Amino acid sequence: MPYSELVKNFNKIREYMRDFYVYGFKSREDFDAKSTRTYDDERRRIESWLSDYMHFQNTSDGKSVAITIDSRSGKHNPFYKAWKAKSFTDGDITLHFLLMDILAPEKTGEMPRAWSLGEIVQQVDKYLGMYPGARTFDESTIRKKLKEYQEEGIVLSEKEGKTVYYRRAEGFGSIDAQVLHYFSEIAPLGVIGAFCADKQEKEASLFTFKHHYITAAMDSEIMCALFDAMREKSFVTLETYLPKEKRSSSGIFVPLQVRISVQSGRQYLMAYGYDARRITSMRLDHIVSVKSGGPCPEFEAHRKKLAAMEPNIWGVSTQSWSGSRMEHVEFTVRYENNEDFIHQRLEREKRVGTVERIDKNTSRFSADVFDSSELVPWIRTFIGRLKDVQFSNAKLQERFEKDIEKMYSLYGLTDPSTLDESSTQLTDPATLDENSMRNEKGGEPS
Amino acid sequence: MIFSELYSAYYNAVARILREAVSHPVTTEEMRRIIAENAFDESALAILPALSESRWPLLRKDGTTPLHAAPTMPLTKLQKEWINAISQDPRMLLFLKGTEMAETGEDGDADAETHEATVPLPYPDEKVLFAKEDYCVFDRYADGDPYEDPAYRAHFATVLEALREKKALRLEVRNRYGHLMQITTLPSHLEYSEKDDKFRLFGRASHRSDIINLARIDSCELCEVEPWMTERKQTRPHQDQVVFDLLDERKALDRVMLHFAHFERRAEKLDEKNYRVTLLYDRNDETEMVIRLLGFGPLVRVREPEHFVDLMRERLLKQQALDQGTLDQQAMERSEAE
Repeated sequence: MPYSELVKNFNKIREYMRDFYVYGFKSREDFDAKSTRTYDDERRRIESWLSDYMHFQNTSDGKSVAITIDSRSGKHNPFYKAWKAKSFTDGDITLHFLLMDILAPEKTGEMPRAWSLGEIVQQVDKYLGMYPGARTFDESTIRKKLKEYQEEGIVLSEKEGKTVYYRRAEGFGSIDAQVLHYFSEIAPLGVIGAFCADKQEKEASLFTFKHHYITAAMDSEIMCALFDAMREKSFVTLETYLPKEKRSSSGIFVPLQVRISVQSGRQYLMAYGYDARRITSMRLDHIVSVKSGGPCPEFEAHRKKLAAMEPNIWGVSTQSWSGSRMEHVEFTVRYENNEDFIHQRLEREKRVGTVERIDKNTSRFSADVFDSSELVPWIRTFIGRLKDVQFSNAKLQERFEKDIEKMYSLYGLTDPSTLDESSTQLTDPATLDENSMRNEKGGEPS
Repeated sequence: MIFSELYSAYYNAVARILREAVSHPVTTEEMRRIIAENAFDESALAILPALSESRWPLLRKDGTTPLHAAPTMPLTKLQKEWINAISQDPRMLLFLKGTEMAETGEDGDADAETHEATVPLPYPDEKVLFAKEDYCVFDRYADGDPYEDPAYRAHFATVLEALREKKALRLEVRNRYGHLMQITTLPSHLEYSEKDDKFRLFGRASHRSDIINLARIDSCELCEVEPWMTERKQTRPHQDQVVFDLLDERKALDRVMLHFAHFERRAEKLDEKNYRVTLLYDRNDETEMVIRLLGFGPLVRVREPEHFVDLMRERLLKQQALDQGTLDQQAMERSEAE
């Protein structure tokens, strides 16, 4: 097949775009799962969509490709372009514009009239008659396209006697362009807002965005399928792929909630897993496909359970890697008389747990959580002010202290030979959810 | 379905070409321009021959079209469901006039003291694509802007009007110490931070650039643009660069690269486990950068510039002193002296 900018299957390019954007140092040889021809085609496509953001670098490992974007300087998520690259046939595009024209109202604002299939076929033939040698469309092809458009909601049908009549749906009202510009960047499935803006008169956006993660755009179809399942209160079969481990797995889950991080750019699904028999989490960018199952009668019960667990979830983890049902963490921070903003920082940034003022220079945070390792990165942001950091998880306590020692050494504040290297080789807590999802067969912590 | 040709750049470009062709014969140059604005780098190579060779029989040889009207497409079910979903977001109130909202009080009592504004579903016959209980932003800061406060909404509306109409603003703003300041500025755009859940207004006036937290505005009115306001062009905040080494243990590579994905950056593989990352950031956000890098603990080590290394070292030195009990003693002595 000759090369085309368009693609049939979005999953084909999802991983490439992510790798080019998130890592940006991989060369063709690093994409060993695909043929070099596939790699070249996908790279060329992405370059065609995102040429303004593509950078190439020659390294000892070969030529690397990076997508580099300062998302603060742009007004629109560039990755939405990829969602506008679906392939189609000559017949698809021809029929689209002819059908929309035939079914359009005579005058703007008027109710569109209804047409029988026979009348539509006649009209299509009339248009195409102007082009000698142009292809024609038989009745069944046109009926199939109209059915497709009914499913999309842009064509309605009604039956009078034995005849089916087709009418264009209404709802072509113009939406405030600024509403679309804003929500298409910050709301879930924002790409749909960008689709709406494309069909309207163009108006420049008045907004820019800070701390703006744009990679989530690539998981839009997965997220949409998960929301569908939640709306239908049904279970799904999820196929996941862990790129680093090059391993696929699948399982049956009841999707309960999507948890979005605006500090790490990750999105997670919280779902009840039938294998593990507990509520667990997994990254959306690791989900390859969502296959809808039947209704789940226990959906509301699982949701209630998740709601009850939320006051003890710091991020997404619902199980400790120490095996304890619940872990306790607390620490105090010290600040000067003119640094009251530190206390306010604790109040503002805590997601669960409590903050108390001990005296005018000291505040204490404490929480009971399923997995206290999730708090470690946040606690480290208070380095320089920390006192009495206490984890009930003894291994975590030890690792936290060793990590701080190691940081002293990295910046030349202690002798590196005094460090015990083995203590820093623990498993990453951020990955434990997925590990536990696969390995844990135990009951849900409560 | 999201990945559909109905939303494709090619359909959009062809629709805009046909829109022109309905009113006048469209030229190849015009088509090239429209394709460049609405599709991709190589799209003209596919679209132009398809139209001219009548593989897509929508355009005549003379650049006119047999279509009766400029092409339009009704909103799809998916688009309506998404609009229904965002209409339930409290931030939607910022864009609506009072008449577009419904006021609901406790037990439906409009006179009740506690009431909140809501937005009726724009497409009541369609479903809502996602509801507030379907997702949760779990790490957004808790002191976001007060979207439900009528005064805040009024200020937002005035700011938006100034931006749309290209007018200036006369503002009374409380600074971080609570003092009221009067500012006249020509607004350029609004910046929203998803982490802070706050809007900031960017503007300029003669020699200075203004960045104003919307929640700090006490009063706000439109005023005419004076020539002195436009004397200087708005400049981007100064960008600084930090270089750090990254040890890929505990999946740090994935975590760090994704965490800093929204910055312009460059990564280089040094060996199997070690990477060097160069990252550009706004100089005003230096403290935030220090804090964010500290969060990665010993898996990240800042290499340059030297003053940034010093900032990291300074915090660690302070921590070391706290660990050893010496800092507390110094602070206590200072406190007693005061």
